[in-house]
Amino acid sequence: MSTALSSTTVPVRRRFKLGPGARGIKLLIPVLLLLAVFFLVPVLALLLRSIMEPVPGLQNYVELLGSQTYVRVFFNTFMVAGVVTLITLLVGFPTAWLLAIMPKRWSQVMFAILLLSMWTNLLARTYAWMVLLQQTGLVNRVLMAIGVIDEPLTLVNNLIGVTIGMTYIMLPFLVLPLHATLRAIDPSTLRAAAICGASRWQALRLVLLPLALPGIASGALMVFVMSLGYYVTPALLGGTGYMMLAELIAQLVQSLLNWGLAGAAAFVLLVVTLGLYAVQLRYLGGGRSGMGDR
Amino acid sequence: MLLDYDRLGFWRWILVAIGVVVMLFLLLPILFIAALSFGDSQWLVFPPPGWTLQWYEQLLTDPVWLNSLFTSAKVAVIVTVLSVVLGLLAALGLARSKFFGKSALQAFFLTPMVLPVVVLAVALYAFFLKLGLTGTLTGFVIGHLIIALPFSIITIGNSLQSFDPALEDAAMICGAGPLEVKWRVTLPAIRLGMFAAAIFSFLISWDEVVLSIFMASPTLQTLPVLIWSTLRQDLTPVIAAASTLLVAFTIVLMLLASLLKKGTRS
Repeated sequence: MSTALSSTTVPVRRRFKLGPGARGIKLLIPVLLLLAVFFLVPVLALLLRSIMEPVPGLQNYVELLGSQTYVRVFFNTFMVAGVVTLITLLVGFPTAWLLAIMPKRWSQVMFAILLLSMWTNLLARTYAWMVLLQQTGLVNRVLMAIGVIDEPLTLVNNLIGVTIGMTYIMLPFLVLPLHATLRAIDPSTLRAAAICGASRWQALRLVLLPLALPGIASGALMVFVMSLGYYVTPALLGGTGYMMLAELIAQLVQSLLNWGLAGAAAFVLLVVTLGLYAVQLRYLGGGRSGMGDR
Repeated sequence: MLLDYDRLGFWRWILVAIGVVVMLFLLLPILFIAALSFGDSQWLVFPPPGWTLQWYEQLLTDPVWLNSLFTSAKVAVIVTVLSVVLGLLAALGLARSKFFGKSALQAFFLTPMVLPVVVLAVALYAFFLKLGLTGTLTGFVIGHLIIALPFSIITIGNSLQSFDPALEDAAMICGAGPLEVKWRVTLPAIRLGMFAAAIFSFLISWDEVVLSIFMASPTLQTLPVLIWSTLRQDLTPVIAAASTLLVAFTIVLMLLASLLKKGTRS
């Protein structure tokens, strides 16, 4: 890689802070080596196995996309990711909106809760939902006590459990960046809309939503992509009967030692994930929660 | 008016209602677990019939749990140091150089952040099986470091952006050597970014589950791996106790971070 890097002529003034132009580049070498050896090589090797094992060819991909079992896994994965994204958006947009405009005293409380939830250990949060949603769990008991249901509902070891758990985990990832988008909108545009006689609905539909659309789209895309590749929560709340893609990859390696098929499944997940991120960068101007684009 | 809290009319109450429900949704499960960890019901009955510290006692007297806690801490500290040092080098390198393909390299540095962890975990697992690194401390550290680094690079890179390199020139003109400039001018100016990078890296390593499951051996496992394998068998309240300790620890780190932020603003 470093052979491709040409050291450009540095203006005299810059030599003070840079030293020779190549010095900045030298600083990049440790990280580059680390990532090349322990990131790029292993991932490429895994993908290579998908077309080399057990024999060279595309049979792993044929099996993956042709078998009923695996197509089911893809269906589960995309459906859960889609539903989670939708719910997160419907609930997250009003929350982000409120967070953007409410008095600082209260918004600080909301921030604290969002950050606490986001940084609480993933297993701890998943465990909470495993306990809450089980047959004798609090959710079923409350629903029965207030007479909504007579029999306990099965809320874990199926896709309902996965959807609830995933929504719980994804909400902060949508609310925080979306709140930043909404804050950046100039309130006077909405005052202008009101002066021009727009009703609240019209102002929402014709002004606020279109202005917030880039934030909504990139937030939704991020939640969708993250949901596609999630392993821990679906594995614990979904059980083996309702497998998702990440779990399939892990299972293929851990229990079946089928590295070729695992490589193929990993490749599919990789292509979809990086493809959707590329769409985001290309059309939505990056801004992955405002971190990646600076 | 839609962006004016005081003039939102009855819509305000709809938003507030949704906001309160969402906040309760986010907060209650965490409080619920904390309450259960002090409850004396093996079957996690809520509200608990009585209160006890026995789950904490079990947790803190069992050598398996203690060892995993120790391993987690050791890995997280090493990862934090390496991640901040390497992240600083990379961020400085990216901020202070211009070359063909720089943005591609930058994107490459950040890919571990967007790649599904399970893909990296399986790939590293295969690689480490060949190198004999599974079940070793080195294996854990490398795995965690790969996913912590992008956060370090971004955080330190952001703080470098608000640092004016002219200050370095000024120090040089005043007679400081290049290393002295870095040590006495640049590093102090971006110390907040480095501190944030350290907290991020520590928490990422400390909470990491997926990679760790693949790196672990029966004799060497981190706390999340032990929670994971216990969870697959039953929902014992010991896990509630472990989770509560993790939450408490996170709160302490978050408070520390916000105090530091406040301290520098005034």
